[in-house]
Amino acid sequence: MEATHAAPSTWRNLTRYAFAVALVALALLLSLVLEVSFGNPFWLFFPVAVIASTWFGGKGPGWVAVGLSTLVVLYYFIPPARSWNVKPRDIPFFLTFAACQVVASWLIAWRQKTEDSLRRARDELEVRVAERTAELTNANEALINQIAVQKRTEEALQIARTELARVARITTIGELTASIAHEVNQPLAAVVANADACVAWLSHQTPNLMEARAAAERTTHGATRASEVIVRIRSLINKATPEKAPVQINKVIQETAALADGQASRNGVSLFLQLQSDLPVVLGDGIQLQQVILNLVMNGIEAMSGVTGQPRQLVVRSRSEGLDQVLVSIQDCGVGIRPDIMPRLFEPFFTTRSQGMGMGLAISRSIIESHGGKLWAESTGSQGSIFQFTLPSAGGSN
Amino acid sequence: MKEPEPIVFVIDDDRMIREGLQSLIKSVGLRVETFASAQDFLVAKRPDTPACLILDVRMPGLNGLELQRKLSEANAHIPIIFITGHGDIPMSVRAIKEGAQEFLTKPVRGQDLLDAVQKAIASDRELRKERAELSEIRSRFDSLTPREKEVLDLVVTGLLNKQIADELGASELTIKTHRAHVMEKTHAESLAHLVRMAERLKAALRK
Repeated sequence: MEATHAAPSTWRNLTRYAFAVALVALALLLSLVLEVSFGNPFWLFFPVAVIASTWFGGKGPGWVAVGLSTLVVLYYFIPPARSWNVKPRDIPFFLTFAACQVVASWLIAWRQKTEDSLRRARDELEVRVAERTAELTNANEALINQIAVQKRTEEALQIARTELARVARITTIGELTASIAHEVNQPLAAVVANADACVAWLSHQTPNLMEARAAAERTTHGATRASEVIVRIRSLINKATPEKAPVQINKVIQETAALADGQASRNGVSLFLQLQSDLPVVLGDGIQLQQVILNLVMNGIEAMSGVTGQPRQLVVRSRSEGLDQVLVSIQDCGVGIRPDIMPRLFEPFFTTRSQGMGMGLAISRSIIESHGGKLWAESTGSQGSIFQFTLPSAGGSN
Repeated sequence: MKEPEPIVFVIDDDRMIREGLQSLIKSVGLRVETFASAQDFLVAKRPDTPACLILDVRMPGLNGLELQRKLSEANAHIPIIFITGHGDIPMSVRAIKEGAQEFLTKPVRGQDLLDAVQKAIASDRELRKERAELSEIRSRFDSLTPREKEVLDLVVTGLLNKQIADELGASELTIKTHRAHVMEKTHAESLAHLVRMAERLKAALRK
């Protein structure tokens, strides 16, 4: 393998040296011919041969050409011609000639070397530029892929978050129910035990009225305790009254729209906001109001999932209503609300969806009512439905 | 000998339930003692009488299942009727596996509880009788001399006096005397009775 690999390079080297020899021979031939015509020793071709050999063949052939031509000139042209002898008078001339040859060859070789390295540098640069370009292209593609992945991840995250919130809600309700069940069951157990005891004491042949009375009293006591538990739970729920602070409803709407944007675009819904700019502030809990608006917007998006052949548009409007009210409406262009389900719309656990809990509108209404406002729905027939709520403005409520 | 009066222990952290159960059980003429916690029950002195324990599973401090384990570790045999607010299946399985008599859910119907109590007391009475008999047999057998025990071991394997005499290197007459002592000390009415008692003791020891 190595031999076959080395062969062309050896061959090329040989050619280069042969070329140098040939050039010197050609120079000699021309010089001899011209010497006959001119009569003077004519050896200016030799520097040309040396230059050409070095130029095309490189350093080695250059030196060969220098050596050969020096010997040839010594033999043929330095008197006495056709002999290796040199007259002492001609020694300086001959040496000058040889030195010129050497310098010429060296200069050319040096030039060649410089050019070679320059060319190599340029080639390398080109290769490097190509590599860099490729790297950049790859990096760019990777970046694009990464962005796509990130976008998908974000969407998945959003979906997971929604799901989590739903599960958390259900879990909370489950835990709450278990705890309420225990709290109520405990006094009920006492009621049953005491009532049974009371009956047992009364069923004796001679009823033990004292024991029966005590048991009956404990029964009443237990029942009272059970009802107290209920009262406590109710007050607990009522105690979750909103943290009221001045709220700019337009800001809440904008924030909510930003939250719902992903969901809207995934469902091909365009969200439009038509907000009156100089609205008075309302007194309320921004988070709860955001929940209400988000809930209504999500419902609207859902309601349009069956809409085809026309743009799915959801419009959220705000305006002042009367002197002391702010009105927010959410209008979709979905299927509208059937008249028969309209009265049940705000009932807890009422839902027309397979996956819904049926709590959204019930909770929304209780939030708006705890803010001193009203929430209602209107069906615009085939053009969809409008959910709207009013809130007392802060100036009005003071 | 008149049997001592049975007693029902009630452990529940809820005073009203405690009082209700107490009244209910008292109404059928049973003696009741109530405790607000498992710890109180553990430190109380218990009379030597057939008994059962009504236990709320969910209690602050030591809970029902933990008390059950403690009692069984201390070899304190007492039938337990569990009452739980939430009928949690794995929990009830665990309790029954550890030997609970009953597992009832709150609110418990009075009659169901009383039935369970009667059953539990009856089973405790049975167990106590068995334990008493066993300890009687054990004390009788313990009163035998080492030589008599050797004779007993061979007798119950069905050997004749002559064979036993050969085995132990004694005269047949000596063996006969030993045998008579064994029968007398163990109150055995027949050889079959003796064998039965020996087997029962062996079975109890294996346990």
